[in-house]
Amino acid sequence: MNRAASHGFWAEAWRRYRRRPLAMAAVMFVGFLITVAILAPVIAGTKPVLCRYKGKLYAPCLGYFDRRLEPVIFTKDRFRGEYPRNLKEKDPESWAIWPLFFQDPYRSVRNNEWPGRPANPSRDEGRPSRTNLFGTDQYGVDVLAKMVHGTTVALLVGFLSMGIAGTIGIVVGALGGYFGGWVDMLTSRITEIVMCVPTLVLILALVAIVDKPTIWKTMAIIGCTGWTGIARLTRGEFLRLKSSEFVMAARAAGAGPVRIMLRHILPNALAPILVPITFGIAAAILMESSLSFLGFGPPPPAASWGSLLNDARSNLSMWWLVVFPGTAIFLTVLAYNLIGEGLQEATDPRLREARK
Amino acid sequence: MTAPLLDVHDLQTHFPIRKGLLRKTVGAVQAVDGVSFTIPRGTTLGLVGESGCGKTTAGRSILRLVEPTGGSVRFAGEDVRALSGGQLRGLRRRMQIVFQDPYGSLNPRMQVRSILEEGLVIHGMGDAAARREKMVAALERTGLTAAALERYPHEFSGGQRQRIAIARALVLEPEFVVLDEPISALDVSIQAQVVNLLVDLREQFGLTYLFISHDLSVVGYIADEVAVMYLGRIVERCTAKELATTPLHPYTHALFSAVPSVEPARRRSRIVLAGDVPSPSRPPSGCRFHPRCPLAETICTETDPPATMAAGHLVHCHVAAQAIEQAQGDVAAASARIAEAMAKP
Repeated sequence: MNRAASHGFWAEAWRRYRRRPLAMAAVMFVGFLITVAILAPVIAGTKPVLCRYKGKLYAPCLGYFDRRLEPVIFTKDRFRGEYPRNLKEKDPESWAIWPLFFQDPYRSVRNNEWPGRPANPSRDEGRPSRTNLFGTDQYGVDVLAKMVHGTTVALLVGFLSMGIAGTIGIVVGALGGYFGGWVDMLTSRITEIVMCVPTLVLILALVAIVDKPTIWKTMAIIGCTGWTGIARLTRGEFLRLKSSEFVMAARAAGAGPVRIMLRHILPNALAPILVPITFGIAAAILMESSLSFLGFGPPPPAASWGSLLNDARSNLSMWWLVVFPGTAIFLTVLAYNLIGEGLQEATDPRLREARK
Repeated sequence: MTAPLLDVHDLQTHFPIRKGLLRKTVGAVQAVDGVSFTIPRGTTLGLVGESGCGKTTAGRSILRLVEPTGGSVRFAGEDVRALSGGQLRGLRRRMQIVFQDPYGSLNPRMQVRSILEEGLVIHGMGDAAARREKMVAALERTGLTAAALERYPHEFSGGQRQRIAIARALVLEPEFVVLDEPISALDVSIQAQVVNLLVDLREQFGLTYLFISHDLSVVGYIADEVAVMYLGRIVERCTAKELATTPLHPYTHALFSAVPSVEPARRRSRIVLAGDVPSPSRPPSGCRFHPRCPLAETICTETDPPATMAAGHLVHCHVAAQAIEQAQGDVAAASARIAEAMAKP
């Protein structure tokens, strides 16, 4: 009782989690991916990170996040996306900080676009080289640049679809588990019905109907169909905890259902629910890759790891189109699974060592 | 005499047993089936009985933590079962509960501060500073310090946790507290401390207790009046002293024979009851105790024994009623007669 620091549940769980090297490596890998996704235009691109042009500072690389963020002056001055030559020709005083790799995820780099460098090789000649570390695809677009810019999609798919799935699942499961009776009957039946829907087929059907299949719609569908497992688990946890003595004590103190669910049951149910959410992120990434591989992913020019695999389908001798994106998908899915496992072991009371 | 603080009349709590696809009700577990008692302000009623006899359910039903299915509960003149919403919440401040398991009754994700503060916030009792003052006072009264506020339940021992649970009940300044086996989960050395704490608090705040326990000696120490429960019903009710000296119901005799005593003179021959407690979903006919009662007669298997009162001593037993009649109302003589009959092989 006289210890200086008093640790809550999550601090303790983090302490235990940190002791698992594989799980920690997985967290660092995901952290690395997040960094790559945020810094994508700085890592690979043909637009300067920062440049001084006609006496003013610009950051054209922001155009990779959104077209509208690219300064208008470069369109007016007819740069046509080719910065290095145009900058020098139109303003000899100008300078620029270039991305780490001068390669564009959406188009092939042309001959002499970067002073003294030939055009990207296309077809099956684009094997990995010094200028194209991971090779180029059919049309001469750099694979590394595509992968770096596709990281955002891979991460967003996981986070957003599981964010949607987690929210729906927790709300549905909590209502069913806490109120029981006909509410439980209703939510359980809905869960079972949704569980029967084959996600992949549903998405393919919707892609066929919807005129503009975007990555956001894919995420929404994965999220709206993937919550069943979370709902069932949440329901079980709520059922178990609602009859616990601390919940009864809260009721004796006069707490209402909302307070009991949010303050007493949910914090205790969250740890076991987080585990399948983590595994769900991995599953969602795989799902998006599968869709893209089948050709139903986000339409070009949006880059996605799965669509790179799809490109490889037409010519299997271009092994670099399989190996690099495939490894990226594999490692990411593995990382999320390791995080899920680490989380489970760090929070499961049965596996927890005695506290001091 | 003024009206008692708590008046429980014919309380029933049945749990439906549902079966099959359509969840049809096929029966009911009669956990509490017609329990009546009163507790005058400032006194303690002990409720004793075996595991599964319904004493915990009775305690929870009074607070409506479990919804009773019949009977009435009047607390300070108010019909507890008729209240809803805000009125019930208001009443809950005045009736508190301490649970058996101090490991299960404190939310492991909340600091002691939040645990104690919750009720105060719900009932809008004072601002932050006033709440803190109340919490510290409650902790200090239960033998803890203000340092406990910033800690989590897992940092405390069982006895300390139970003190926190008591402080949680106390901080709301209740009039009535249900103590649901508050010491059963504690080490023997800690039990005495907690019992003494409860007695002190009762004196200090004029609290009224319903003390639920299976431990006759503890109940004898803390309670003014004791009710013995068997299979959802009260079989005997009298003062604690009387119950210890002149028990009437054969079941009570059997319970006392199981209590170890250090005084050789008070050592009784052990009465071992045959069989197990019958299922409360299918209680026996007539007197519920008859399948296990060594003194059972034909009448016991047929009719439910009515209440027999003798000098403030209430008992539901045909045999005891006869004994009282034969002893012309002398409870002590009747008790001795039953004890003698029970001792026979």
